[in-house]
Amino acid sequence: LRIFLFSLFFSSFRPFHVEPTNIVSVNDDMQRVTDEASAMNKRIHYYSRLTSPADRALIAPDHVLPAPDEIYVYSPLGTAFKIDSCTDGYGKNSSLVTIFMIWNTMMGTSILSIPWGIKQAGFTSGIILILLMGILTLYCCYRVVKSRQMIPLTDTSNWEFPDVCKYYFGSFGQWSSLLFSMVSLVGAMVVYWVLMSNFLFNTGKFIYNFVHDINVTDIVPGTNGSNKVICPSAANDHPPQNMSVMFSSDNRTGFELFEEWWDKSRTVPFYLIAVLLPLLNLKSPSFFAKFNVLGTVSVVYLVFLVTIKAAHLGIHLEFNWFTDNEFFVPEFRILFPQLTGVLTLAFFIHNCVITLLQNNRNQENNVRDLSIAYFLVGLTYLYVGVIIFASFPSPPLPKECIEQNFLDNFPSDDIMSFVARIFLLFQMMTVYPLLGYLARVQLLRQFFGNAYPSLFHVLILNLVIVGAGVAMARFYPNIGGIIRYSGATCGLAFVFVYPSLIYMISLRRAGQLTWPALIIHIFIILLGLANLIAQFLL
Amino acid sequence: FFPSLQVLLMGKSGSGKTSMRSIIFANYIARDTRRLGATIDVEHSHVRFLGNLVLNLWDCGGQDTFMENYFTSQRDNIFRNVEVLIYVFDVESRELEKDMHYYQSCLEAILQNSPDAKIFCLVHKMDLVQEDQRDLIFKEREEDLKRLSRPLECVCFRTSIWDETLYKAWSSIVYQLIPNVQQLEMNLRNFAQIIEADEVLLFERATFLVISHYQCKEQRDVHRFEKISNIIKQFKLSC
Repeated sequence: LRIFLFSLFFSSFRPFHVEPTNIVSVNDDMQRVTDEASAMNKRIHYYSRLTSPADRALIAPDHVLPAPDEIYVYSPLGTAFKIDSCTDGYGKNSSLVTIFMIWNTMMGTSILSIPWGIKQAGFTSGIILILLMGILTLYCCYRVVKSRQMIPLTDTSNWEFPDVCKYYFGSFGQWSSLLFSMVSLVGAMVVYWVLMSNFLFNTGKFIYNFVHDINVTDIVPGTNGSNKVICPSAANDHPPQNMSVMFSSDNRTGFELFEEWWDKSRTVPFYLIAVLLPLLNLKSPSFFAKFNVLGTVSVVYLVFLVTIKAAHLGIHLEFNWFTDNEFFVPEFRILFPQLTGVLTLAFFIHNCVITLLQNNRNQENNVRDLSIAYFLVGLTYLYVGVIIFASFPSPPLPKECIEQNFLDNFPSDDIMSFVARIFLLFQMMTVYPLLGYLARVQLLRQFFGNAYPSLFHVLILNLVIVGAGVAMARFYPNIGGIIRYSGATCGLAFVFVYPSLIYMISLRRAGQLTWPALIIHIFIILLGLANLIAQFLL
Repeated sequence: FFPSLQVLLMGKSGSGKTSMRSIIFANYIARDTRRLGATIDVEHSHVRFLGNLVLNLWDCGGQDTFMENYFTSQRDNIFRNVEVLIYVFDVESRELEKDMHYYQSCLEAILQNSPDAKIFCLVHKMDLVQEDQRDLIFKEREEDLKRLSRPLECVCFRTSIWDETLYKAWSSIVYQLIPNVQQLEMNLRNFAQIIEADEVLLFERATFLVISHYQCKEQRDVHRFEKISNIIKQFKLSC
């Protein structure tokens, strides 16, 4: 979501642009600049008339000008980063940079659930669904990008999609946009907390075992040999009777103490509070925006890891169309909506695509570049999902074992996944405060008119968000579940309903609504609804 | 025959008087006041005010030699028939002693030639002071100035051209110059009530300073007076 502190852009010569102002404000909703900024703007314009352009006498010094816009872009399960505000109208990014930025923003932790999603939907239908959802969400994204152009008589060059929603649906549009973007933000933050607890736990366990030279062989069903793949859910159903543990020194009690104090759901989620809660209370998270590169590195490393593992494990595929097998799943399963729920969030960028495309040097290539970016994103998801699914060693382990976070299928002493977990842990620790900041700014500004009313307000909000994360990590650490519920919910508004509805309304106002357009877009809205309802039924 | 009011705008060189005059009276500054140095001579502008009143604005250069000059030879000329003395202090000035010395010389001249003059002190360039210190520093200066001005009374304002304080200060000054301002306010209120307006403003024509206003409904934008003034002055300059 694009955050306006002031709606100002200024170049080095310091004329800054403010939209036409109302002195008597009849329509309070559309106020996009503070009164101070507007007054300053008028002042500067007037003073510039008093001297010749070469004269520096009445040029506004830096300290009186309002601070520049802080614009943050985020995708709920991707990354969040700060974008430079456009000076001089349009940005200067080449197509390649724009495509990369879109890919980078969308790519993130949802990649960990794609193999599970394919497993839930069935291999063939999983692949088909990834392609179809990619195309559908791309179309809806295209509608979002074009939505501003159908608005007559208003300068919409600064608008983001929630502003368009507010134009068409008034105050309902404003509040519902806020609600759904909160769902996406809080959902993402909860997923992050669960994953961070997971990764921190595994990292700690690895380090402890490494330092104390412990060779743990849990009785968790898994393959033998060097490239071990385990099935943790089977272990949860049948708790191990005994654990074969070999110690180099006789340190049994130390180990049991460690196991007690370092537990994935009981203790580690609480340890994270000490690190992350202070960071959430910071006024400005621009420091964290600098770590954006970690996201890219993590994804690239994951692709690399997946390739290596597949090379070692080989391909294990068997095509059973509709029947269940001890080791394999049918190609088409009734649980496929779970994949579509995950994919809604995996392909979600509709809240900030306008901002991302605004910096594109050649604006006429926007649609082309967006499509290429979506294609690359879909390709990445497809690659990781298919490869993990196909190489999952199915003769000893059933495909049903694929975890909602596929890194859980590798034991904690596996070096490659240890590195992946460390990367992802650090990446998520830097994105988490940014998401918290965005949630806080939107919520508090809407209710209190001020992004930081007092430490008390901010602390309460942060405690609620952190509490939700800790509760989920403790009682329901199924990220696939959390992703699909929050994805289907916020996707309903921003992906399916609003773009289609706005398109239909704008066509109707222009008198150009045809029957095919009406039917297609109503169908899209119904798909979105079905997507949401199916999450709860199946 | 209506008296011609003389307004003196004085202060040390570089304190911001020429810019201030230019901004309030919408005069184009023909030269770079920073680079070419301070105003060399006495600048005089002549502004018609509220119909029959005339403001003679004397922007005396603040340079040392010149200050000495007009305190001796030109003194009576300059300080006669003064209705208002506006003295500008640069808040960042490092020579407080000298500033106060010149100020007191002016006051002596006023006391001799126009003892009924109203004295206004503007502590200018307040934007250069950190926000949390502004009140403190202004209070200090105000105390000093009031003390030094005795037996005359001065009214102090803190101003900056980069916020609304300059406009407000000059509006207050001008308000005190209008002979029948109470009557004007009564008429304004009656007028507003007759036409059932939410707000009625009375602007001075040359400077668009607000002389009086009547509002019966809460208005959202506190900066609206200065904004209107700036918009119209800009428009006037463009034509």
